[in-house]
Amino acid sequence: MTVPARIWTVVRSLLIPAALLGTWELLSRGGAAATYAFVPLRQVATAARTALSNGELIGNLIASAEHACLGLVAGGLAGLLLGACLGASRICDRILGPLFHGLRQVPLLGLAPLIGLSFGNGAGAKLLVIALAAFYPVALATAGGVRNVERAHLELGRALTLDRRQVFRHILLPAAAPAIASGFLQALAFAWLATIGSELLFTASAGLGSFMQQAEANGRMEMVIVGITAIALVGLAMNGLVIRAVHWLLPWHAVEQK
Amino acid sequence: MSLTHSTAIGARTELRATAPDGVRAARGFAPGVERSLGWLAPLALLTLWVATTRHASDGTAHVMVSPREVLDAARELAGSGELAAHVRASMGRLAVGFAVGASLGLAYGLVAGAFPAIRSLFGSTFHAIRQVPSIAFIPMLVLMFGVEETFKIVIVAKSTFFPVALATADGVRGVPRSFLDVARAYRVRGLNLLRYILLPATVPPIVTGLRIALGRSWMVLVAAEILAAESGLGQMMERGRQMLRLDVVLVGVLFTGVAGLALEEGMRLVERRLQRWRRA
Repeated sequence: MTVPARIWTVVRSLLIPAALLGTWELLSRGGAAATYAFVPLRQVATAARTALSNGELIGNLIASAEHACLGLVAGGLAGLLLGACLGASRICDRILGPLFHGLRQVPLLGLAPLIGLSFGNGAGAKLLVIALAAFYPVALATAGGVRNVERAHLELGRALTLDRRQVFRHILLPAAAPAIASGFLQALAFAWLATIGSELLFTASAGLGSFMQQAEANGRMEMVIVGITAIALVGLAMNGLVIRAVHWLLPWHAVEQK
Repeated sequence: MSLTHSTAIGARTELRATAPDGVRAARGFAPGVERSLGWLAPLALLTLWVATTRHASDGTAHVMVSPREVLDAARELAGSGELAAHVRASMGRLAVGFAVGASLGLAYGLVAGAFPAIRSLFGSTFHAIRQVPSIAFIPMLVLMFGVEETFKIVIVAKSTFFPVALATADGVRGVPRSFLDVARAYRVRGLNLLRYILLPATVPPIVTGLRIALGRSWMVLVAAEILAAESGLGQMMERGRQMLRLDVVLVGVLFTGVAGLALEEGMRLVERRLQRWRRA
């Protein structure tokens, strides 16, 4: 691509955001009621600067990222375990599969009142929701990856008289790794959604969801917008990190960047 | 030829004999028995539930209720018409929001799929907004529209729009060039092109997008109802929680789950019908 063409590409992708921001700013000048819903951009910028400089934003952001990572690891490992069982053993799939697919249909955040009642409204409940969110996609992807392993590879393994551990380590795991990787990528998006959701639904503590909930209660639209922007940026950053990690762990497998 | 064939089969049977225990055991069952294995785990859970709640006292009613109490609560809620009203409220919001979001998503997806210029113009904005969890927009929408119906319909429409738009755009872009070339060679144009080439090629991925969108919107709607609503299954559960009525909460969980399952399976049915030709 030539340089002017590249500049044109950048300009073109910025046209719509610029138009949207312009419309927003125009709407914000339509009287007191409009200023409440469409806060002027200058006010948003000031709010962002304040929240950044007093450490409020960064603190909540780190807390949320911590919740998400913890839930992703806990739920992901559990999902890996169940998925491997479902994929490798047909009897396991027959017994646990229907229950797993049935429970999967219950909207996750709809479980919040139940979890709140049974496990309290605190950190444990949040972690459980986030872990569950990460659990389903990883289990599903792992089961699929293990199930779709090449028959010929398994037969080779048996011909070489590998024991079950060796079959798992040298055949099943490498074959299922790409599916597991995309499962984790999907799980990350769900875990992030569940993090924000659980912070909104459960008792306030540190976290971007609680930060926005408080801003909403105080009628501070500009702080809500700062929160949404931060959530978007953290989501993007985590997605990029996981894609990079997958490239590093599975260099032969190109993750579809969606 | 036939010799090598039979040796291959022989080798395979031998390998099968050394297959992991689970696989071999499952092969021994009759198909009917194998299918009924799926009831084992839910039955075991139910038995466990009954056993642990048999001697529960009143003091633990908010953490432990028996299946019978949940059934009684369901009967009571259904009898008073309360349950039906909540289901109707939730489904009404879902239907309106889904219809709005899906139509906009279809329209955008068709245009963006057909015209690269539109894609490069709106693409970055589209993907930037798409990757923000819908639920994060709830506080903003509440401030904009209040806690009434509008905000719930907008959030459902938002969570429907993006998967549908994405699936539609991908579907339109994915029409194989060779199909269009064949159509041109046979001078298939206009309505016939739409009827015999474009619709069959694009509808299946769009229906898949609609199914995914429906599942997500349902979850987001329930969450929105838990946060702020006068009615709906989410609100019923949230009020149950506040009054420490675990039985009511469980009835809610059951019904949101069944509703989610019904929506999903319904869409899958449509999907399978539209893809009948693939199996042939």
